Amino acid sequence: MILLVILIPFIAAALSVWLPFRNRKSWEIFLESAVTLNSILVWYLLLHHSGNTFLLAHFTGNLSVSFRVDGPGMVFSGLVSALWPLATLYAFEYMTKEEHEKIFFLFYTMTYGVTLGIALAANLLTMYFFYELLTLVTVPLVMHTLTREAILASRKYLYYSLGGAAFAFIGLIMIIVYGRSTDFVLGGVLDLAKIGDRTNVLRFIYVLAFMGFGVKAAVCPFNSWLPQAGVAPTPVTALLHAVAVVKSGAFAIIRLTYYSFGTDFLRGTWAQTFVMLVTMFTIVYGCSRAVKETHLKRRLAYSTISNLSYILFGATLMTPLGMTAALLHLVFHAVMKIASFFCAGAIIHQTDRYYVHELDGMGYKMPCVFGVFTVSALALMGVPGLAGFISKWNLASAALESGSTVACFGIVCLLISALLTAIYMLTVVVRAFFPGRDFDYGTLSGVKDPNWMMLVPLFIFAFFIVLFGLYSQPLADFLYAVAIGL
Amino acid sequence: MYLILLSIFIPILMGLYLLVRKEYASRGRLLATTCAGLVLTGALAVASFTAAYGSSFTLFYLTKSLPIAFAVDEMSVLFSCLTVIVLLCAGLFSFEYMKHETKEKRYYGFYLIVFGVLNALCFAGNLVTFYLFFEMLTLTSMPLVLHNGSHEAIMASLKYLFFSMCGAYMALFGVFVVSHNSAVLTFSTGGILHAAAGSPSAGLLLAAAFAMLVGFGVKAGMFPLHAWLPTAHPVAPAPASAVLSAVIVKAGILAVVRTVYYIFGADFLRGTWVQTAWLILTLITVFMGSMLAYREPVLKKRLAYSTVSQLSYILFGLAVMGAEAVTGSLLHVLAHGLIKTALFLCAGAIIFTTGRTRVDELRGIGKEMPFTMWCYTIVSLGLIGIPPTGGFVSKWHLAIGSLQSAIPVFRWLGPVILLVSALLTAGYLLPLTIQGFLPGADYDYEHLKKREPSPLMTIPIAVLTILSVLIGLFPAQLTDWLTRLAARIL
Repeated sequence: MILLVILIPFIAAALSVWLPFRNRKSWEIFLESAVTLNSILVWYLLLHHSGNTFLLAHFTGNLSVSFRVDGPGMVFSGLVSALWPLATLYAFEYMTKEEHEKIFFLFYTMTYGVTLGIALAANLLTMYFFYELLTLVTVPLVMHTLTREAILASRKYLYYSLGGAAFAFIGLIMIIVYGRSTDFVLGGVLDLAKIGDRTNVLRFIYVLAFMGFGVKAAVCPFNSWLPQAGVAPTPVTALLHAVAVVKSGAFAIIRLTYYSFGTDFLRGTWAQTFVMLVTMFTIVYGCSRAVKETHLKRRLAYSTISNLSYILFGATLMTPLGMTAALLHLVFHAVMKIASFFCAGAIIHQTDRYYVHELDGMGYKMPCVFGVFTVSALALMGVPGLAGFISKWNLASAALESGSTVACFGIVCLLISALLTAIYMLTVVVRAFFPGRDFDYGTLSGVKDPNWMMLVPLFIFAFFIVLFGLYSQPLADFLYAVAIGL
Repeated sequence: MYLILLSIFIPILMGLYLLVRKEYASRGRLLATTCAGLVLTGALAVASFTAAYGSSFTLFYLTKSLPIAFAVDEMSVLFSCLTVIVLLCAGLFSFEYMKHETKEKRYYGFYLIVFGVLNALCFAGNLVTFYLFFEMLTLTSMPLVLHNGSHEAIMASLKYLFFSMCGAYMALFGVFVVSHNSAVLTFSTGGILHAAAGSPSAGLLLAAAFAMLVGFGVKAGMFPLHAWLPTAHPVAPAPASAVLSAVIVKAGILAVVRTVYYIFGADFLRGTWVQTAWLILTLITVFMGSMLAYREPVLKKRLAYSTVSQLSYILFGLAVMGAEAVTGSLLHVLAHGLIKTALFLCAGAIIFTTGRTRVDELRGIGKEMPFTMWCYTIVSLGLIGIPPTGGFVSKWHLAIGSLQSAIPVFRWLGPVILLVSALLTAGYLLPLTIQGFLPGADYDYEHLKKREPSPLMTIPIAVLTILSVLIGLFPAQLTDWLTRLAARIL
């Protein structure tokens, strides 16, 4: 069953290219139903999982490829499978303006399987394997437009990701050598007897591996690939570079910290302080760059950089509450950011406008898109009643609860970043709705909201942003259960 | 319970309806709808603090530790009274004033929403609810600032937005810390942090208190984050400036009152570095605001600087943390609210009829618009603090309260600065009266024509003037009530 949900996207992707479809419509229906079916299967699997490990291949010693449904895997795979059908629906409409659709959807759908592989991997080796694969299947998506800029961006993405994976690989080797096994066990698998007095070496290796996985999660100083990769079509930027790929990085770090090295080994050491400071710096750095950036999609990409480090900040607190907050922000940020990216994509699709200063007065012409954008902007800022506030509240209380001084400064970083978020998001909103009295609406003639395939995903996301903001206790309870060992 | 919710959500929903519906066929219909909305909201607010007085209820829980709750206590009554009076008067004034502006529907839409949000702030029962509506107030009052759509107005509104957000996030830091140290965040007299006093986290809590004071103080124009106020208030249409300067800034005051007296408790902060730092900031603001107002040539801007200074009178009284001083502060909330609305409406009436904005252009204005200028003069005297108007009583209590307290240096420095500032207040308000009524021998009386504005404008001004005089003439009952209130929250 687990293998099935990982394989279906590959099969569907292959079929979508090879099968002779009569027209575009039937091809769309085939892909959409395959993806939806897979998502339903994933949710069925999550609700009826047995906790058993599914062993696919056994190499030697404790090296094997195996899958298992556990807490964080449920959260990540549930999230991804909820978003993918919506994003695919949106992508159909968006890609009508681009070329080579079939190739695009081939890789786009394959990525779904790979991401599920990361989420459901039962040990570090399996996760590492899918992690590398993720880089390879997403490179063609970044390159899609085949402009010089896109090729440069994809090359950069490739080098950064592979380089990062190499560092993560060192971590993997150390776990193989010094761990009881490579399986994911809450609390870590390190064998203290084997380590002896080499604890600081291992902590150093942890930092290396953190930074290695951190490349995908865009921690400073390895973040510059993400804004550049924004040249990809918006469905890619929205789903992959705000959710699947970058969150795989964050997810891998959570696995590494809580399930491989173990928090007891790291908590209170220089390694924790170091990674925490890195995330705090990234939080502020990402936001400041976003304020400076005038290209809307790149601005959102910088915002993603900052928000990913919110997640990592929660993770580096190394307490159950910290992990709860991290997972909560992982889910909420996915919804908020995909909503805002889809809005940016809808604007590009309808008007070919890319820069913030080109958006004057569009709020009246595209009320639905900018309405959803406003909701997502307010949520990202952390206005109470919307999703962002809840996750920020949880992050801050987890930081206070952990009692460390560095974490207190982390809260200050969060709040500075919230202010900067207000600046870079609300300037867009104000421009769109209040262009000033001298504005000539004639320049916007013909601009209108996109069709239902784009609007439906947007409304669903907006609905969930509000729902999570008002009522998230069951989810938070579930995540806490995950953090203490579901 | 339902009354409170209705008084909050009816105006918000009506405002949203006005915003999304298409233009009305005639202006009359728009005004009728707005008028109905304002009166209904006012009535509901009054009904909720009379009928539901003392009640409290939890609407729902955002998460287990974050209830959205409402409650009606004396402080709600005080601020709600002010809100209703000011919003109704300024709303009536708008009906005439907004004739010469465009996009009236949007203006009234946001005006109604702001009314609802202000009611919610008055009736908020815990810190989270308060914070929620505090942020909403910023977001929904911003469109009032940028209403005329000029580049200057849009920039001013962004400045307002970002300063307020900065303050809100500073306050949020405090909220985080408080919630970590207390299981509940309900407002209760005397504070909720008794257990934390003297504990190891007391240092962090003091820092949190300071962050909240400065953060919420942004809305109340407290130094060092006051710079948005003189930029943002004058660019709004005059009735909106009045609302901003008289009640929306009072939300900052209410926030500070709730924080100091209902969350931390005066005993927690008295004698700490937080109190000293806060006193210094308020006195700097009082003096600086008056000085800046004194050298400002544009009338509305001058009034905005005056707001900066006057609000810090209130904050000073609250910072002293003595019964007498707090009484003075609360009285000044009312007095300043009424007076500043009247002043801004006078300025609006002058702009509406003459189109002139600078004080030096207004020679002989008293001959042209005697009624408006008489009201202006009377309320000016009130703001300066000359008996028998409202400002005198409140300043008297402030000064006495400060002298009675045991705080070294500030107990006498405070009243001195207040007096200097009162002198400056006379210096920046009265020149308009003097020039207006006594234009000098070379004034051209030939072309003088009476041009008093319509009753829609003069009636609100008159009502506010009379009210501000009444609190000055018969302060006994009000003062007694506020003294009891002050004694209870200390």
